[in-house]
Amino acid sequence: MSDLLNILSNSNKDIDNQKLMDYLAGKLSAQEKHEFEKQMAESAMVNDAVEGLQQFRDQKKLDTYVEQLHKQLHQHLHQKKRRRTQWFEWKQDQWILIAVIVVLLLIVIAYVVIKKLGHA
Amino acid sequence: MHMNRPERFSEYSDQQLLENFYRDGNTEWLGHLLPRYTLLLLGVCMKYLKNEEEAKDCVQQVFLKAITELSKYKVEYFKAWIYMVAKNHCLMKLRDQQGKRAVEVNDIHVQTVDETLEGNPHLEKDELLDRMAGALEQLNAEQKQCIILFYLEKRSYHEITEITGFSLMQVKSYIQNGKRNLKIMLDKKAKTGKQ
Repeated sequence: MSDLLNILSNSNKDIDNQKLMDYLAGKLSAQEKHEFEKQMAESAMVNDAVEGLQQFRDQKKLDTYVEQLHKQLHQHLHQKKRRRTQWFEWKQDQWILIAVIVVLLLIVIAYVVIKKLGHA
Repeated sequence: MHMNRPERFSEYSDQQLLENFYRDGNTEWLGHLLPRYTLLLLGVCMKYLKNEEEAKDCVQQVFLKAITELSKYKVEYFKAWIYMVAKNHCLMKLRDQQGKRAVEVNDIHVQTVDETLEGNPHLEKDELLDRMAGALEQLNAEQKQCIILFYLEKRSYHEITEITGFSLMQVKSYIQNGKRNLKIMLDKKAKTGKQ
């Protein structure tokens, strides 16, 4: 009877991609299948996803698609990061360059001043 | 990127990964968060776009959008948010293609209530059970039958279609609508109970 309360409970479980693939492939036991379908009933996103994934003609292609998407994502993130670090390094280099020029200028000025004072 | 707590990234919750991203702005955190949703997003996009290549491109665009938007706003519930981003993106794409294909997104706004469903924690368990049993009786016959078969008898969607003769879509919608009606009835009762 306490199962009645489960109707409105929200397990909020994290998505388990392997479970999802196994469900699509019909590899789950009756109990696991029911648990998964409960997640579908709780989450519109999981429900939509299953309906969509079932429309792929070749389920084996799913892994390839997912892999490609991950690769593209990581490439994008690394490019973004590299651009950021390059800019950051250039900015740092700029300050070092300015510091060296200022120090050199100071040395030259000091040299000129000392020389002039020596003559005087 | 040197956060303590969980040792492996897989042990971080979505929330933790997001918080770390907001703390140090390192997109590598998103590199661990977004791939958790690739398969789900691929399914969602496919459901609305009905084309494998378009669905794949759509997921990529949703990722890019997420990376940009997450840097601008603070998102609390990542799963609900990314689902909304993906659905809106599909809707926009379908709108662009209007004419070529009639928009089949009538059900795009349905089902969102369930994302926020919660039990009522303030009520005693027995009281809640009574109310639930009462509410169940008030459902229409189809919804009641499907809810009982699914939640109480723990049947699978497929078994329920065989027992009842309903289609899979009907079974799903009876369960979802039944659940929503139960929630509405219980909320109503809780409100009248308070007054």
